[in-house]
Amino acid sequence: MGGVEDDEPPSKRVKASTEDLRSPFDNSSRSVPISPLGGSMARPLLSQGKDDMIGSKGVIKKVEFVRIITKALYSLGYERSGAALEEESGICLHSSVVNLFRKQVLDGNWNESVLTLHKIGLSDESILKSASFLILERKFFELLEKDRVMDALKTLRSEITPLGIDKKRVHELSSCVVSPQQRLLLGFANLGIETSNSRLKLLEDLQKLFPPTVMIPERRLEHLVEQALSVQREACYLHNSLDNSLSLYTDHHCGKDQIPSCTVQVLQAHHDEVWFLQFSNNGKYLASSSNDRSVIIWEVHEDGELSLKHMLTGHQKPVLMVAWSPDDFQLLTSGMEEAVRRWDVRTGDCIHVYEKGGLGLISCGWFPDGRQIFSGATDKSTCLWDLDGKEVESWKGQRTTRTSDMAVTKDGRWIISICRETAILLVDREAKLEKLIEEDQTITSFSLSGDDNFLLLNLVNQEIHLWSIKDDPVCVTRYRGHKRSRFLIRSCFGGYKQAFIASGSEDSQVYIWHRGTGDLIKALPGHSGAVNCVSWNPADPHMLASASDDHTIRIWGLNRAHLKCKEAYSNGVADQCNGKGQ
Amino acid sequence: MMDLDPRHYEHVTINDGDIRNIVQSYLVHNCFNETAESFLACTGMKQPVDYLADMDKRKSIFRFALEGNALKAIELTEQLAPNLLEDNKDLHFDLLSLHFVNLICSRKCTEALEFAQTKLTPFGKVHKYVEKLEDFMALLAYEEPEKSPMFHLLSPDHRQNVADCLNRAILAHANLPCYSSMERLIQQATVVRQCLHQELGKDGPPPFSLKGFLKN
Repeated sequence: MGGVEDDEPPSKRVKASTEDLRSPFDNSSRSVPISPLGGSMARPLLSQGKDDMIGSKGVIKKVEFVRIITKALYSLGYERSGAALEEESGICLHSSVVNLFRKQVLDGNWNESVLTLHKIGLSDESILKSASFLILERKFFELLEKDRVMDALKTLRSEITPLGIDKKRVHELSSCVVSPQQRLLLGFANLGIETSNSRLKLLEDLQKLFPPTVMIPERRLEHLVEQALSVQREACYLHNSLDNSLSLYTDHHCGKDQIPSCTVQVLQAHHDEVWFLQFSNNGKYLASSSNDRSVIIWEVHEDGELSLKHMLTGHQKPVLMVAWSPDDFQLLTSGMEEAVRRWDVRTGDCIHVYEKGGLGLISCGWFPDGRQIFSGATDKSTCLWDLDGKEVESWKGQRTTRTSDMAVTKDGRWIISICRETAILLVDREAKLEKLIEEDQTITSFSLSGDDNFLLLNLVNQEIHLWSIKDDPVCVTRYRGHKRSRFLIRSCFGGYKQAFIASGSEDSQVYIWHRGTGDLIKALPGHSGAVNCVSWNPADPHMLASASDDHTIRIWGLNRAHLKCKEAYSNGVADQCNGKGQ
Repeated sequence: MMDLDPRHYEHVTINDGDIRNIVQSYLVHNCFNETAESFLACTGMKQPVDYLADMDKRKSIFRFALEGNALKAIELTEQLAPNLLEDNKDLHFDLLSLHFVNLICSRKCTEALEFAQTKLTPFGKVHKYVEKLEDFMALLAYEEPEKSPMFHLLSPDHRQNVADCLNRAILAHANLPCYSSMERLIQQATVVRQCLHQELGKDGPPPFSLKGFLKN
């Protein structure tokens, strides 16, 4: 910080401060100029040009800096420290006029405060009037509280109305004179109990009217710090934590330790390849479907462990996919070219079987209202049913035979499906609009982001493409590194604010990329067969599940050792501990 | 400018007795009791006896209301037609507020305030009076109510309106017509002309103008 004290003989400064820095509550009204430093004392400081600015970049004005610190001290209740800082720095928080004004408002000396208001030196007439209005209104209400109705009326007529502003409010005040209910309506009953609090509130309201140089806004320092923290969090590339508290001691910076990368559990209950899995919307369950024709619902416990809740049998063919109802109470499952079944999650019972005579169904999904379901069939048609099995609609043609991924946006407006090998069709049901996404390569699967604005496509050429679909579809990022040659591999969004992309791979690893930049963050080994599908827990950014041909499901989480170390450095900068940083 | 060829209606005969009734109804409605009496005498028409006595009372009520002496008007109305004001809350409110306005204009603020608190605010419990009440109460805030946005509440036009309403209410209460037949006839002509004008456009007769008619 600038070294004023080095250049100035100490005695000169001390003398200046005792002369001019009188007690802020000294009522002897010497007219003081507008400068917040209280006039003559300012000169010794300001004349030293470069001492005005502090900080390595020289963009912070010292006077402003000290004043907001002083204000923060007072707000925190440290009256003596605040006063001491004012004296030691020689920088007044408020000019003496403003201090007088504040005291008069807090003491309820309304008439004097209005007079002092005009001495503060505000040039804007409308501010003066608005401020006077607030003060006099307060006077009015306190008089009404004391039952001095005629005095209140007099104040209204002779002081408030002549200001000529806010006629609507004037009329409301008029009604208050006549009827006590009106006072209640306007929230001014029971003033007596909370007078000092409400006068402080009045001061805050007044301060909002004044330019900030006259009266520093409340909680300004806190606001600046919050801004800085916000910027740090946004800039944190690998931020993947729900924890909202950041330390002020160092800049926030997450390492890779926030990305789930250790196998914390291996679920072995299927007897054959596991083809699909998905967490429920509330993250409390996981459903997996397998070539062994069964579907398993797993429960996610508080401590992060999963246990088998139900094994759903009934399909005669391998189960291709599952779909959670929007309220997570039901599950749809579709067998390979077979039927679609609807299950009750709590009991594990099959509630309904949907079939389309002669056709095999290969996919299933819910409409956002939870009252209709759709399914793709082998003849390229799509059927729409209501829950009882009554077919509502069916349309043909816009699909391929092999894959049948379909999605509906949460507002029920857009239906997204693969219409050709290399294209995805987005249809707006209401406006009858269509959008098309075209690729050079065959699209094998896709998933929709949580905010319905992005689509993640898996292509045969081992690339995953992220498309923005809010306006005209445009490809924004590509992700590479995983392997896919023969099978259907799925990818998903996940993590804090869905900032990451995960995918399965034929090389038995799980791949995780940073969504914004496309950088590969991790490739997780562990499975001994192709990883077909991944799902990131929507409620826990530290939990990832993968389904593999090796008949198992792996649950990935954070490295426990790293976690313990993290508590010591509460800022995510834990890469340097334990030497095991990835 | 004659708007319609007189030959069109010259063959329509009017009964003289009807015309006399029209005139008499006008005189009665507006409480011209002396004129009404002499008209009756001249024409030899018959009227019920207490007709004129009531007319006298009605006349003074109307006068008081027009002057703004609402309390007196209310008192006499209660005498002449008990329960009338209870059944006509809107009218009651309008009359009371006339008195309030009177107090305001005479700068008797304390009285006005008290009067408002005791007599007017009870109306505020019913939703439709709330806005009206607010408008009147707003007058309290101005040292010069004539310069306030609600100055129309102090105008003679407003008083005339209220007085007319009172007059009509009293007539209705006595099972007499609330509008003089003269008024109705002119209104009728206007409406009929309007309809014709709308339907036939340029080909039809122009809208009725009483002034224009009388000039001829």
